[in-house]
Amino acid sequence: MNKSSPDTSTSNGLSHSDLAAAMERNLKRRYRSERRFKAFGIASIGVGLLALLVLFTEIIGTGMGAFRQTYVTLEVTYDTEVLGIEAVTPESLALANFDGIVRRALLNQLPEVTGRTAKRQLYALISYAAGYQLRAMLEQDPSLLGETRKVTMLADDDLDTYVKSVRADDPFIGRLSEPQVEWINQLEAQGLVELKFNTNFFTSGDSSEPEQAGILGAVMGSLFTLIVTLALSFPIGVAAAIYLEEYASRNRFTDFIEVNINNLAAVPSVIFGLLGLAIFLNFFHFPRSVPLVGGLVLTLMTLPTIIISSRAAIKSVPPSIREAALGMGASKMQMILQHVLPLAMPGMLTGAIIGMAQALGETAPLLMIGMVAFIADVPGGITDPATVLPVQIFLWADSPERAFVERTSAAIMVLLAFLITMNTMAIWLRKRLERRW
Amino acid sequence: MDMTEQLEPISALRATNEQPQEQSMNDALNSEQSTSQEKFNTVGKPLLNGAKAKFKMRDVDVFYGEKQAVFGVDLDIGKNEVIAMIGPSGCGKSTFLRCLNRMNDTIEICKVKGSIELDGMDIYNSKLDVVPLRARVGMVFQKPNPFPKTIYENVAYGPKIHGLVRRRSEMDEIVETSLRRAGLWNEVKDRLHQPGTGLSGGQQQRLCIARTIAVSPEVILMDEPCSALDPIATAKIEELIAELSQNFTIAIVTHSMQQAARVSSRTAYFHMGKLIEVNPTKKVFTNPEHSLTEAYITGRFG
Amino acid sequence: MDKLQLDQHISQQFNADLENLRTELLEMGGMVEKQLIDAVLAIETADAKLAEKVLENEKGVNDLEVSIDAECTEILARRQPAASDLRLVLIVSKAVRDLERMGDEAAKIARMALELSQEPAPVHGFIELRHLAENVQKMMNDALNVFARFDVNGAIKVMREDKKIDREYKSAMREMITLMMEDPRSISRVLNVIWALRSLERIGDHARNIAEHVIYLVHGRDVRHVSIKQIEKHIEKQIDTNSL
Repeated sequence: MNKSSPDTSTSNGLSHSDLAAAMERNLKRRYRSERRFKAFGIASIGVGLLALLVLFTEIIGTGMGAFRQTYVTLEVTYDTEVLGIEAVTPESLALANFDGIVRRALLNQLPEVTGRTAKRQLYALISYAAGYQLRAMLEQDPSLLGETRKVTMLADDDLDTYVKSVRADDPFIGRLSEPQVEWINQLEAQGLVELKFNTNFFTSGDSSEPEQAGILGAVMGSLFTLIVTLALSFPIGVAAAIYLEEYASRNRFTDFIEVNINNLAAVPSVIFGLLGLAIFLNFFHFPRSVPLVGGLVLTLMTLPTIIISSRAAIKSVPPSIREAALGMGASKMQMILQHVLPLAMPGMLTGAIIGMAQALGETAPLLMIGMVAFIADVPGGITDPATVLPVQIFLWADSPERAFVERTSAAIMVLLAFLITMNTMAIWLRKRLERRW
Repeated sequence: MDMTEQLEPISALRATNEQPQEQSMNDALNSEQSTSQEKFNTVGKPLLNGAKAKFKMRDVDVFYGEKQAVFGVDLDIGKNEVIAMIGPSGCGKSTFLRCLNRMNDTIEICKVKGSIELDGMDIYNSKLDVVPLRARVGMVFQKPNPFPKTIYENVAYGPKIHGLVRRRSEMDEIVETSLRRAGLWNEVKDRLHQPGTGLSGGQQQRLCIARTIAVSPEVILMDEPCSALDPIATAKIEELIAELSQNFTIAIVTHSMQQAARVSSRTAYFHMGKLIEVNPTKKVFTNPEHSLTEAYITGRFG
Repeated sequence: MDKLQLDQHISQQFNADLENLRTELLEMGGMVEKQLIDAVLAIETADAKLAEKVLENEKGVNDLEVSIDAECTEILARRQPAASDLRLVLIVSKAVRDLERMGDEAAKIARMALELSQEPAPVHGFIELRHLAENVQKMMNDALNVFARFDVNGAIKVMREDKKIDREYKSAMREMITLMMEDPRSISRVLNVIWALRSLERIGDHARNIAEHVIYLVHGRDVRHVSIKQIEKHIEKQIDTNSL
């Protein structure tokens, strides 16, 4: 500070006005670069959001169709002659020709169809499932035998695709022949074709017929797999984290373990699949394609994530709390169970849920242990063969039928909904548990 | 800065013709670990008559791995006295304090040598369980650290884990008396079941003190209990210390020399891991015996 | 070399404050010394003007006392000094009071000088007065030097000197009593001289106080009402324990 002439010059000899001008210039430049810097950030976020938007519109655009399904309403007569049964008994139901009454109903509706080929083409417009539907109705109400009813039946996927495309003003004929298109138009004109909500999609398992295929099997498979994964990886991960953080002494051995855990987190998941294949299937001879093995493999995969996040959560518990507990004469176990764990729990749960979300989206390791098989039944437990959502998506994406394309997208939407739910749950849990302190 | 060079002239204050002796003392302080063999003599009165001493420490060394943090400390702490430990940062006073209830056990590389006796019982005996020891020798920390539980649970925690009470009514009584003794009862009696972390810093620290005295310890160790508090809260804690000293033996580590001067009856000055001087607080703050003590409390280094 | 290490604090401002305190005290000491010399000179030379000047300057001494005391208060409030710093501030505060009293006594002597200057006849007792005044001046000078250097041995010497001055004061008093008995008409004048002698003796006491303060400052031991022998013994002992 120069007290002799404080107004005109500074300690390094520059006058204040010079300095002010230089600062002014510099300041402008700084503001410009600041704005540019900010603009870069906004642009990056914009690109990200745009990509997400495109993805979502694409998926939702294609997938929404799968939530609606075409049905055809026909007058069906439970003709004993056609069915070939006299009375409704379990044995007779197994033998009855329900397909026959569906076909008769179709022919009644479109009497002009003649000839074997034409008739076969006509029959193909109604799904195989119609026969099962009629059988179920009769089973429930045996008095229907001999009666005539208006029945709404599941249409074949080709009809379904065509009707949807017509309604969207973009007719797609696909595998349909010209007469088939003509008949569909006739049915449509008679008001017999309608689009309804596709409950089937949520209540049935996979099928080679797109109109019958649903994702419940995959959802249940994923659920069982995740239950196994959570039940194993959370306790193991937390226990390992507690040991490493609270008990293990810092030496080469624990350093080695730590490095390995971190490396494991970075190992490609398909390797875990190979490991599972080698250990659980080939060595322990567990059955293939079951959620139990899938869960075991995914446990291996998510353990590092859970251990790392749990350790971070334990580490973030203030040492003062530990000291307070020890200073009060609490034993180490009391300290951990009564003070450290409750405080670390939100972080641990978040880590676990993120690990679960990761496991939910995993395909590669499950392919290795055979969860890629075609399984039409909805699994009822962890030892039933099953597939999982991402694998189901993979399978459907591979199928040629147009109707599977929209089902693929719909399955992706379901998967995304699950992931978003889980992440929301993670946030909610953290908020809720943290608020207590 | 070289300590010898800085301190030597201060010794001149003491007397004019004794430079060689003072010089040799500073040399002894500055030389390396060899001093742990040739024992360093604390000036003043570190030892009390055997009968009065609650804690008896003899030749206590503390090591952090290779590094020695405390060098051959001999010290007695009398029953129901308040002893303050002062010294520059890293002088080993906190380390030493934490030896008294074996809080250093939590640090793996920390080794304690020498003998520390509480009422004639060696607390570093391998057979001794630290849990009852810590119930007898409570501790209050630098940062108020109430458990993230309710006020009631905080105070009830110690009696609960030590199994001191059987009935709920007994617990209520302990909680109330502890909070009363910590001077907090009137402020919190209507919100016993609200989180302890919702209190102000000073109240939190008093809650921690209440929590500590709930198990009726004989000795309370305080490690810079007011360093995170404002002056008013500090004054309340200091007042509390004065009251508690009627029933408890208190050892307090503090960075505030004024605080040491206000609350303690004896003051121990640590410097580079050595106990330099122990004297009545009155003497230390008006006429310290050792030149290092003098230099520290007058703010000539620190 | 500064034995109190006033310039060794971490806070430079504290260094400056303490140094300033000491300098101002010495400055005040110099002022009071001058007052004493002037007052005694005024008696000897029956110089009324000089005596008046001393009385005038008394105000300056008082102002300095107030301002140094205020500084001491400020240092106590702001710095909370401990140990030697605390002792320094305390003894400066006390020494200031002693110096102010010395100033008062000098003013009293000046007042006597004024009265004596009115008298036509030469006054008896001036020899004793001058002799005592010389001794007291020297003692006061010594005391201030002792303070400036924080010199304990010097302080003990000053305390011994005070004994000497007391003795001289007693013999001068006897002399004065004899004078008064010989010539009762001179009683009122001799009384004035006695008052001046009395003031000089008081100044010696205050100088002794300052020396005692210095011992307290350096050794931390209050040596008021303690015999010189005991003080010496204590200092010996302290040196012994410190050299252990």
